[in-house]
Amino acid sequence: MNDQVLLTTTVGSFGKPDYLQKARNANARGKLGESELTELERKATEEWIRRQERLDLDILVDGEMYRGDMVAYFAERLDGFRLGGLVRSYGNRYYHKPIIASKVARPKPMTVDWFRFSQSLTDRPVKGMLTGPYTMLDWSYNEAYKTRRDAALALAEVVRQEAEDLQAAGARYIQIDEPAIHARPEEIEIAIEAMGVVTQNLDAKTVSHICYGDFAAIYPKVLELPVDQLDLAMANYGYRWLELFDKDPFTKELAIGIVDVHTHETETVEVAAEGIRKGLRYVSKERLLPHPDCGLKTRSVEESEEKCRVVVEATKLVRKELARQATPA
Amino acid sequence: MKTTVIGAYPKISDEQQDLRRALHRHDRGELDANGLSAVLDESTRWAIGELNWAGIDVINDGQIRWDDLLAPFARAWNGCDRGSLERFYDNNTYFRQPVITGPITTDGKTLVRDFEFARREARGELKAAVCGPLTFATLVSEDSHYRSLEDRTLAVADAIAAEIRGLGAAGATLVDVEEPALVAHPEHFAIARAAIERLAAAGVPLALQTYFFPADPLLDALAAFPIAQVGIDVRSRDTHVLEKLTRLRQTVVLGIVDARNTRVETERELVGLIEAALKRIPAEYLWLAPTTGLEYLPHDVAVEKLKALVSAVHAIGGVKA
Repeated sequence: MNDQVLLTTTVGSFGKPDYLQKARNANARGKLGESELTELERKATEEWIRRQERLDLDILVDGEMYRGDMVAYFAERLDGFRLGGLVRSYGNRYYHKPIIASKVARPKPMTVDWFRFSQSLTDRPVKGMLTGPYTMLDWSYNEAYKTRRDAALALAEVVRQEAEDLQAAGARYIQIDEPAIHARPEEIEIAIEAMGVVTQNLDAKTVSHICYGDFAAIYPKVLELPVDQLDLAMANYGYRWLELFDKDPFTKELAIGIVDVHTHETETVEVAAEGIRKGLRYVSKERLLPHPDCGLKTRSVEESEEKCRVVVEATKLVRKELARQATPA
Repeated sequence: MKTTVIGAYPKISDEQQDLRRALHRHDRGELDANGLSAVLDESTRWAIGELNWAGIDVINDGQIRWDDLLAPFARAWNGCDRGSLERFYDNNTYFRQPVITGPITTDGKTLVRDFEFARREARGELKAAVCGPLTFATLVSEDSHYRSLEDRTLAVADAIAAEIRGLGAAGATLVDVEEPALVAHPEHFAIARAAIERLAAAGVPLALQTYFFPADPLLDALAAFPIAQVGIDVRSRDTHVLEKLTRLRQTVVLGIVDARNTRVETERELVGLIEAALKRIPAEYLWLAPTTGLEYLPHDVAVEKLKALVSAVHAIGGVKA
């Protein structure tokens, strides 16, 4: 796999199977115990590892079968947070938005056991998946810290501890997502400073996923974010962010979103392949990683699988084209 | 001094999730459009009841039927579709970006039925609300018809003006124009002003609600807008607007309760803000409100925020204008 180009990956979450969704609901109502729920989460995780291998994805994720929301999961496990009541994010989707009520601290690792479990199931690399400090702050209510920078740096410290534990457990890729990084473009320095705290001691490949917002407002400044790879939604934006790279060349590895995740229908293989070809105009095949625009947790298992299938087939199509070009006639 | 609210109220609470369930059932085809509409009405009744019960002087209908600020219009208007999701300013809340496919037209009755329903349910004063034209026009993701932001904004303004005429005919005496884009993009203020002039021509008093961003650079410009009220958020960003309120000529709707943070303000804090405003403008020109829609908060906190607002205003002297 090492000499493979256009490594395929995904952003992190997949659709949960019906049996797990029902079990989570039952658990929330106090009708199913924690250990029974964990068993089903492990079963669903293993199914997704197998599915990703079958789909022939190169860099895997655990699928986040044990997470609901990407901030709340950590907030529930960190000291200093409490979960507030339900808040709507869009349409009919609600989440328990966390409240930073006092100083934050990490009593124990939060994702390391899940990483060990999923990595034990496959020879392919599994990414360690974390939410970045700036996004944790921006998607929480801050009652405890005087400034947003103070809160972001305190959160960076607990995310750093988790990232270093993931690396110690063998993670070769550590993804620290910052989808909120452009929520307030004037605060990008805070996000960069906080990420620096997280990645300062890491040798693993570091990745950050950014989506849904005005990427142009933070480019090219975002190239200073201390990670090796940026993971961007592109299909949903008609690839318009690529044009920014004309003026200020992109300097990191680029994980490029080539299928929209918020639709029931998936693009055709040919349309997705065209997205990869667009990306290749700016980033070399060794540094370009095709994937779906965003996490797939809002999709069903079947839809998640279909979107990944299109990503892999589109990639194989473009790899063939590249191989033909490389072979002298 | 009067108390009021802006924007959307929480559609559900942790305890009362009828609407959430009804929408799920509607998605699965288990509840028809009439069934869903009945639940939406019941939820609207609930929101209006809570706003009235909290003692808010001038309420709205809680915008329970609004998926987002743009949705009712993007759904109803000809020449406009709803496209992909995008973050709504600096919130972890998302909206569907409008896609303009042709000339925008409307019968001007988009909000009339809902206003008449709310009119029957509400005790006391009720105001209506529309999306600001600049906000709508700047949040469009694709436009295959209008050639410039100005053309698009003015076309949206004409459609919104028609909606305001419809609301006026239905008895509305005050309409909030929710226009965060004006303070997010002060560089477009001339376009916004031309648009607001078209809305004002509809003949119903307008309250221009700005929020999320500081209004400081626009105060003098706002004073010349043909509107009855200006809404100013003094909590979301650093601002010195309180010291400059004398520059405005209209009634000020001061957003003093932070609708985007769960920390409930102390009475002392709120009284301090009100007193600072009263040093610059007379009480009859001051209304007090949350900074923006309370839907950014969980329901239980939204209720606490309303209580804090009302009790701070009472503490100032209990005067009701």
